[in-house]
Amino acid sequence: MPSISSKEKPMDSMYYGDTLIVDLEAGRTGQVSFDEVDEAGPGLPAGLALYEKYKEFDPLIFGSGLFTGTPVPGACLGFVLGKSPLTGEPAVAPLNLFAGAEMKLSGFSMVVVKGASAKPVYLWLHDGVPDIEDASALAGKDTWDTTDGIRREMGEGLIQVICIGPAGEAGSDSAALSINYWGSGDTAALGAVMGRKNLKAVALRGLGMLDADEPEEFYDGALELLASAKVDTGFKSMCSALGAPDLDAWLSPIAHRRRACFACPATCATFVKYNEAPSVMESTDVEEPGMLIANAAAALWLMQGGWDVEAACRAMEAMAREGLDMVRGARELSETPLTDAGKITAAVKALEGSTAARWTVAEPAAPGLFGPWVPPLGGYESWLEANRIGYSLGICPTFLLLCGTDTSRLLELCVPAAGLETGQDEIAGMYG
Amino acid sequence: MRVKAKPLECTGCALCELACGYHWDEAFSLISSSIMLYRAEEKKDYMGLIVKTDEDLFIGRPEGAEAVKLGDLQKGGKGGGASAKPILIREACDLCESSGLEPQCVAVCPHGALYLE
Repeated sequence: MPSISSKEKPMDSMYYGDTLIVDLEAGRTGQVSFDEVDEAGPGLPAGLALYEKYKEFDPLIFGSGLFTGTPVPGACLGFVLGKSPLTGEPAVAPLNLFAGAEMKLSGFSMVVVKGASAKPVYLWLHDGVPDIEDASALAGKDTWDTTDGIRREMGEGLIQVICIGPAGEAGSDSAALSINYWGSGDTAALGAVMGRKNLKAVALRGLGMLDADEPEEFYDGALELLASAKVDTGFKSMCSALGAPDLDAWLSPIAHRRRACFACPATCATFVKYNEAPSVMESTDVEEPGMLIANAAAALWLMQGGWDVEAACRAMEAMAREGLDMVRGARELSETPLTDAGKITAAVKALEGSTAARWTVAEPAAPGLFGPWVPPLGGYESWLEANRIGYSLGICPTFLLLCGTDTSRLLELCVPAAGLETGQDEIAGMYG
Repeated sequence: MRVKAKPLECTGCALCELACGYHWDEAFSLISSSIMLYRAEEKKDYMGLIVKTDEDLFIGRPEGAEAVKLGDLQKGGKGGGASAKPILIREACDLCESSGLEPQCVAVCPHGALYLE
């Protein structure tokens, strides 16, 4: 197990103390001291500092925020940071669901992947041990088969798999990384960067333990925030705030259950079933009954394009399998509603994507570092602040925008967490 | 008195696991808790909750809940599935009595999926 919290530096608590460097060209891993993190700030600001430091090696940074993996509401968030092939500038993709927390509990809060491998590999991070594994058998496989293949090889069904499909391997500008089977909010084509590196996946499993400097004060504060959070279910509040039609009503004929990301009281994902009745609760012989709809922007595009809900969800499954950016893909597909399964598969494979993904309603989110994964709720300044605070602390920005979190109280928790005094202005300053 | 679950109210956020782990270790992890999500069949969205006590496992499956005696599990009785072995080596739920708090898993669940009976 990794050592935790020596408390010699301000942010040793909640972190494990070192940054992992993965040199794919040399096939080696090593660790460097964490000084950049203390200087730059927690979470994404630390990632940006590491990006600058290793820029000549075309780095991908896998990171987590200060509270990621704790019971602070919404503390699911990690990130992948790299140079977007779409803009040539650094851009971030969210690691939500269980991936961000699993990464931190695997013993690594910051991982720099530099260079490119000569053959397909995947990075296996588990209990403080980094291994570079041969991925030749996974080459060409879609994200579903890749996730299943790694879980089967390691004999553990709870491994979180950040992976690419055929689109990423081909270096398509439409490629996105996927979290397990379900796609992701990668709208910067970082999946293509993984493909360029011959990095098929990063697999995560951790039984680590996170300490706070003042555990009781931190825990009580987290529960206080949890108690005051608006418990949101489904997409209703999001759609209402955007002035968009009701996604929940559209999904309802095939909706199975609402799902949440790690440590989040909101349920911004809905599992839909179309290969068996959505009312079936047992585990049946149907191995792939449906799809987790966790990308509201993609669903909105297809719904507003006039797609039948089942056909749209099948299209989202196809995009997730291929490892395509669902937002840009759905925008293009929205113009021609399809119902035939074969035509949907062919249309998804033919997607060439676009560099101008936008939400369908309200102010378009600014391109650049954060991208349009987080809905443009409350105006640009609120959106930007939620992204900055969220990616620093490891709190989902959508949760911050939707659930009425007291950000001042949230930032105060940095003190019992890790002895870090900070505020909104300081967080903004960390982004330059 | 024991912790029971309404599995269909559960959204899989794992806050209960975190709170229980904190009760035992004053730290945050997914390995120490007496309650755990069953989430090994992710592609099927088949998810439930398991609570370990001194005498049995309360297994809340989506299709229904039951308590299974530990002895029956070790003899190969039904219940628990792939998650049975890991939870069997964990501490049994003490309703948070040792920390003087109300049961923390029930307190933190945002959707009322856990209750005392």
